[in-house]
Amino acid sequence: MTSDEHYLIGHIQDVLSADPRTCKQDITIYIREGTLWLMGQTSTEERRQTIESVVVELAPDMGVRNEIRVLEVLPPTEAEIIPP
Amino acid sequence: MIRVAAIGDVHFSEDSRGRFRAQWERTHESADVLLLAGDLTQHGDPAQAEALADELEGIGVPVVAVLGNHEHHEGHEEQVRQVLERRGVRVLEGEVTTLDLGGRTLGIAGTKGFGGGFVGACCHKFGEPLMKAFVQHTEELAARLRENLASLDTDHRVALLHYSPVEATLVGERLEIYPFLGSYLLGEAIDAAGADLVLHGHAHRGSEKGVTPGGVPVRNVAFPVLRHAFAIYQLEEPRRLAKTA
Repeated sequence: MTSDEHYLIGHIQDVLSADPRTCKQDITIYIREGTLWLMGQTSTEERRQTIESVVVELAPDMGVRNEIRVLEVLPPTEAEIIPP
Repeated sequence: MIRVAAIGDVHFSEDSRGRFRAQWERTHESADVLLLAGDLTQHGDPAQAEALADELEGIGVPVVAVLGNHEHHEGHEEQVRQVLERRGVRVLEGEVTTLDLGGRTLGIAGTKGFGGGFVGACCHKFGEPLMKAFVQHTEELAARLRENLASLDTDHRVALLHYSPVEATLVGERLEIYPFLGSYLLGEAIDAAGADLVLHGHAHRGSEKGVTPGGVPVRNVAFPVLRHAFAIYQLEEPRRLAKTA
């Protein structure tokens, strides 16, 4: 990874954190052979796609591989007993 | 015995509608109260709070919440609070509430909390005014939390936070960001005043279970950690000694 790519990751993470479209601080980004790899998890497919769109805006000349996972809401499990 | 359901970091927006509803509308079957540990909205838009309130409509148990850092992003945190309170959610910002749940009382002291880090690797009130203000904010919230917990004369007491009071529930996050995820000052306040349980969110990559140095159970209920609609914690009664003849 070049120094330019290193700082690009930093700037993309800044935007993903503060941009109201995303507000996402926990996306891991790697650059491998000119492609941005996005990893992490989010709540909906719409948000997964929005994150990718914002990244494409910031790095239009690079490929993007979106490996962000959408979290399913599972039913609650048994109660944990908290002793006195 | 009181059953506490808890979840944090649901980050509601228009596109969240319906995600939790099927599980939340059955909350009354398994819990007596639902606590929300901050980051209720995606970026603090009051319309996002309305979407959350719609999802919580008629779930049949009291709902108590604290705000998180996301509610502060656009500076509309007061409107977010007003929306939620108007829709029946009790929001605690350095405040307490007491609930009578089937004859047992539950006291909840709630605060967003803030960062600063943990013993041996934390920020201090030294140098630039911005750094002093950062630490001062946490100190003030922690002092209020301590007073509020101590003021509760209830069968059970729960501290409801957004930021973490201990490192144990941050395990999984990068060590470098611990000072932005919580503060030992919150843990110190809880240990000084006492509590049955501490609930917090904020650390999406953290761990569910921890304990304060003084022995109070701490649970990180951030949705990305739990991956369930909520967790349930059953607060047991102290065992009574049998009467002897």
